[in-house]
Amino acid sequence: MQNVTSVEMENGKEILRLMRTDHPKQALDFSLMSGAAIEVHDLVKTYQKRHHKPVKAVRGLSFTVRRGEIFGLLGPNGAGKTTTIKILTTLLAPTSGSARVFGQDVVADPLGVRKNICVVIQENAIELYLSVCNNLRTFGRFHGLTGRQIDGQIDRVSDLFGLREYLNEKGMDLSGGLKRRVQVAKTFMVEKPIVFLDEATTGMDAFNKRRTIDAIKEESRKGRTIVLTTHVLDEAEELCDSVAIMNHGRIIARGSVEDVKSMSLRLLYLTLSLAAVSDDLLRAIHIRNPIAVDIKDTTIEVTVREATEALDVLAAVRQTGLLRHFEITSASLEDVFLQLVDTKESAS
Amino acid sequence: MREVLAVVFREYLIRRTSPTWLFFDLAVPLLYLLMFGVAFDKALGHGLRIGDAVVPYNAFFLSGVLSMSSFGSAMNQSYGFFVDRDNGIFYEFLTYPMTRGQFLFGKILFQCLMAVVQCFLTIAAGTLILHIEIRWELLLFVFAGMTVGTAGWFFFLAIVAFRIRRNDTFNTVINVAYFVLMFLSSMFYPLDQVPSWLRAIAWVNPLTWQTDALRFLTIGLGSFSSFVLQVLGFGAFLALSFWFAVRTLQKAV
Ligand SMILES: Nc1ncnc2c1ncn2[C@@H]1O[C@H](COP(=O)(O)OP(=O)(O)OP(=O)(O)O)[C@@H](O)[C@H]1O
Ligand SMILES: [Mg+2]
Repeated sequence: MQNVTSVEMENGKEILRLMRTDHPKQALDFSLMSGAAIEVHDLVKTYQKRHHKPVKAVRGLSFTVRRGEIFGLLGPNGAGKTTTIKILTTLLAPTSGSARVFGQDVVADPLGVRKNICVVIQENAIELYLSVCNNLRTFGRFHGLTGRQIDGQIDRVSDLFGLREYLNEKGMDLSGGLKRRVQVAKTFMVEKPIVFLDEATTGMDAFNKRRTIDAIKEESRKGRTIVLTTHVLDEAEELCDSVAIMNHGRIIARGSVEDVKSMSLRLLYLTLSLAAVSDDLLRAIHIRNPIAVDIKDTTIEVTVREATEALDVLAAVRQTGLLRHFEITSASLEDVFLQLVDTKESAS
Repeated sequence: MREVLAVVFREYLIRRTSPTWLFFDLAVPLLYLLMFGVAFDKALGHGLRIGDAVVPYNAFFLSGVLSMSSFGSAMNQSYGFFVDRDNGIFYEFLTYPMTRGQFLFGKILFQCLMAVVQCFLTIAAGTLILHIEIRWELLLFVFAGMTVGTAGWFFFLAIVAFRIRRNDTFNTVINVAYFVLMFLSSMFYPLDQVPSWLRAIAWVNPLTWQTDALRFLTIGLGSFSSFVLQVLGFGAFLALSFWFAVRTLQKAV
């Protein structure tokens, strides 16, 4: 995979932009249409309330999401993810800046935007007095499906999300995770080109999380563009073609998952299984100045910056004749996330 | 239209889940007329003298009950926004492919149908039990008056519901407003016999316009020219409320 890395200035701050030049996905339907799915330019949202200090939730955000990709908006609590999604889904008007969703401006043509999207909002949204079946039915009606199409889709999504046995239960009698499943299932009834999922898997058990992730992948394969936020970084790592990490209303990193991961200090973890741990061996490791050395019985984990450093350590250890087995792993998205947020936090 | 019907369908499904509620919604104005009207009718003996005419109190009060039920329906429906907000579904609705106007219009359309049924039941009881003489030929206009009245009050109350976040505050504000509007209108008594300050306020109260217009249509009380003025006045109130409600909803989140 080829990567192009460039540095650009945004709001006077330097941020790294990383782009993948090839796209791994077989683009279909919607993604074949030209143009970006989402274009956000210098978006600002300040919450103003009487007798309260203004809250700058989004401070000059700019990014593009390509058609057909899964885009993850990541960041700590209060970073401004939901606010951004609310603006993109026409629930909130921006204070300044512009955003286009599938070519339609969110302020000038909100209806045009709403015709192309479906949304799982962060809060639970379910009709408590209606049965699961009627929850799905009303959603289908609102999105212009015919009675027959609705029946077909109810059938499909209740299998996809394991809702069949609950179809006649009222919303208020469902457990928290089930309510969320109904809410997510609804959005898979209609084929809108863009789906927004604000922490869609919150409250779901591992099994249903897996179902949801697989369903998202499946929809993406059909060419739908998916914008999601999540605090489960493994989920983002598995799903997203590209991510943006937000903090304090700004993007601090963006690009493909691989690229963002490589934005960290390029940490590599070298795990060594040894026959025994000798002083000579430890000296051989320490002399190469690794970031950290963690010893547990006869296993040593060495953290290094570069692949060459890892190979260097490995060669030295091998010469001692004590090496039985080794493994090199790179940093996870979570490691990078924590590192980036932490770095920017201390910088600010 | 499809979008509006989808909202109506949803309102219908919600209402269908509570038949008791539905029954009370339909029966309350009728009970009001029977209990309140009968008592006052007896107390006032020969009826009310309005200008040259003498009108039995029941006949006079009928249109008061009708506008009361319009207002009541609108109040219930606007309270529904709080329930929807608590369920979160309110915000999801706002991401559906429809305009804010279509959403509001659909919300009230079902309630307007209910108000027409309420109106029919109340008039039927009024003629059959209380022997009120109705201008039957104008019944369709009375239905129209109920529809427009319910919608006007709903849009007006929706503005309040979108601005107030707490349902207890909303309840207090609305109940006080209802009480004040009701007694400062021509709902219970003719305005030519009340103090002039009260009359002045009542004349700018849309509840008076609605009640007087319905009174003209049901029992022929009042002049055609003031009827036209009141219809125009209420029309303006409805249009303004709708416009404000849509605007408020656009910024409601
Ligand atoms: N309606 C509001 N009025 C005032 N401030 C708000 C409002 N909604 C959000 N905020 C503030 O804006 C900031 C961004 O909030 P937002 O909900 O967008 O964060 P988030 O990234 O989605 O966080 P989380 O991960 O917790 O969901 C926070 O400081 C929050 O307190
Ligand atoms: Mg959020």
